[in-house]
Amino acid sequence: MIVSKSIFVLINGLASGMAFFLVAAGLTWVFGILKILNMAHGAFFMIGAYLAFSIVGSNPESMWSFLGAGLVAGLVVGVLGYLTDKIVLTRLRTVDYHYVLIATFGLMLFCEGVAKWIWGIDYFSVMPPPQVDQALKIGSSYVSGYTLFVIAAGLVVFAVIDTIMHRLWVGKIMRAVANDPWMAGTLGVNVPAILTISVIASFALAGFAGGLLLPNQTLSINVGSSFLLYSFLAVVIGGLGNIRGTFVACIILGVVESANATFMANFGGIAVYIVLAVFLVWKPNGLFPAQGST
Amino acid sequence: MVSMTDTQGSVIERTPMMSRRVVGFLMVLVFGALALAPDLVNPGLLFLIGLTLIQAVFALSWNLLFGYTGLASFGHAGFFAIGAYFTGAMLRYTVPIPFLGMLVIAAGLGALVACLIGLVALRRLAGIFLAVLTVALTEVLGRLISYSPALGEHDGLGNIPRPKIGLVLWDLDLTSSRAYFLFLLCACSLITAALWWLVHSRTGRVFQAIRQDADRAAFLGINVARYRLLSFMISGGVAAMAGGLFAPWTRIVTLDEVNWLASTQPILNTLLGGVGSFWGPVVGAVAFTLINYWTRTFVGLSEIVIGGTLVLVIIAAPTGIIGLLHTIRNWVFQRTAGKGGTHERLP
Repeated sequence: MIVSKSIFVLINGLASGMAFFLVAAGLTWVFGILKILNMAHGAFFMIGAYLAFSIVGSNPESMWSFLGAGLVAGLVVGVLGYLTDKIVLTRLRTVDYHYVLIATFGLMLFCEGVAKWIWGIDYFSVMPPPQVDQALKIGSSYVSGYTLFVIAAGLVVFAVIDTIMHRLWVGKIMRAVANDPWMAGTLGVNVPAILTISVIASFALAGFAGGLLLPNQTLSINVGSSFLLYSFLAVVIGGLGNIRGTFVACIILGVVESANATFMANFGGIAVYIVLAVFLVWKPNGLFPAQGST
Repeated sequence: MVSMTDTQGSVIERTPMMSRRVVGFLMVLVFGALALAPDLVNPGLLFLIGLTLIQAVFALSWNLLFGYTGLASFGHAGFFAIGAYFTGAMLRYTVPIPFLGMLVIAAGLGALVACLIGLVALRRLAGIFLAVLTVALTEVLGRLISYSPALGEHDGLGNIPRPKIGLVLWDLDLTSSRAYFLFLLCACSLITAALWWLVHSRTGRVFQAIRQDADRAAFLGINVARYRLLSFMISGGVAAMAGGLFAPWTRIVTLDEVNWLASTQPILNTLLGGVGSFWGPVVGAVAFTLINYWTRTFVGLSEIVIGGTLVLVIIAAPTGIIGLLHTIRNWVFQRTAGKGGTHERLP
């Protein structure tokens, strides 16, 4: 009994961890390179979800239309990211970080207001595409196919980002800019372009995640806020701006949250904060601290 | 003109806009007008004015932390909620503690929680840590309250009676809106006066020194961590007291007081009014109430206006309404000294 329950907890925890990671990846990317903690990230995730919903509706016909809708949402939100960068973020590059936090907070409210205005305040629900809509039996417990789909999606996105960041020349340049923008500039790197590309990538990722995670929960204006909160926790636990740390932290948070919900259902959602406090005291710079920080 | 070139880099010039005598005269005028408000305006508007007073104190508590000590809390609603739920529950279940005592205990509770958070985060007060921790505090509180039947779970704590205050010679009955409003006005004025005194005292100077340059302050022998903790505790305590005054005024406290949006309220009021001025948060609270009042009937519009204003203020007018007034005054009188529109920029 306890074994099957544990497997259940583990798989569900992995799935929610991967869901957090899909959102946290873009957040930590922008944080690593621009040093901006983008509070509006969850709002753009929400916009991506609404866009994908507008394309596929409540019952996606096939896996391809579902993925396609996610990609289109990602593209559109990426364009929004470009505009946001040009209109707002470039003006915040030299401003004290407190004000940047507050400005992105304002951006979040703005986006929520616009989304309310366009899509209304009703709740929608979306079914997973038919290919992953059946339950699978693992041991003695049942797991939905969509859960495994989310885990796979998280792993793929992590693999892609990690390859870009640690194996390709683009990633090297990005890490150089993150480390020392001035020095990278003198070596001939087009720093503003790298910053803009990072913002676009981060936003596109948020929009894509919005599409992929549509069937994960009901769709409402607040859909981004809980994901954003967990992403913050993951980014802090993982080491600010570190993609591998964020990945590990997301898995920890997901499993803890799932264990909390299964074994202590009366106090759901509390355990992650205890974990956060423990990590802040034990590893104040995160699991994978950035180079140069003490 | 002062120009700092350290890494913290934020320079807030505090050139007073008007002489203290003029400000004092204005204060007396505003106080007098507000004291007459219960007899002049309708109950709905009086309710809004009362809320604005509370929001002004709440915003002042946030600005003590941000504008004077250089720390940003993104979960200040947590402290507010501690006070609001505490006095709300005490009054609702008629616990025999005098109301003034309740307010003091509420402030103490707020300060205590601030102290605990501070001990975790203030060691390395990189602003992001404090930001995330304070947000987490508010979320945890919201969850705990939603699991607690005594505090009304998701429905909120309603039917909160207004208190009676037993003074030495006679009892002060605050049951009527009029009486409680006058009490609220006096309480908010007293708290504001105390904060004004604090930021102009030696301790306030130390706070400002830390905000401008924590390293230099440490060189001068200031215990930076301790003063940051002190500022955080006072700020949390005042926020909790504002919450304590809030519960009997609205007579219901719900989870709406314990979320992100509620935490933005003091931030917004402060930035709108102006970080660089003591009275900025108060001006901002008034301006905000007006904006909200005019946009209340359109779905989503208030978020668009509030969010847009916030972004616009930071990009275009980082010194808020008071800074704008400064700039206009300087422009009218062609003064060059004491510019109000200084941007807070990194070098």
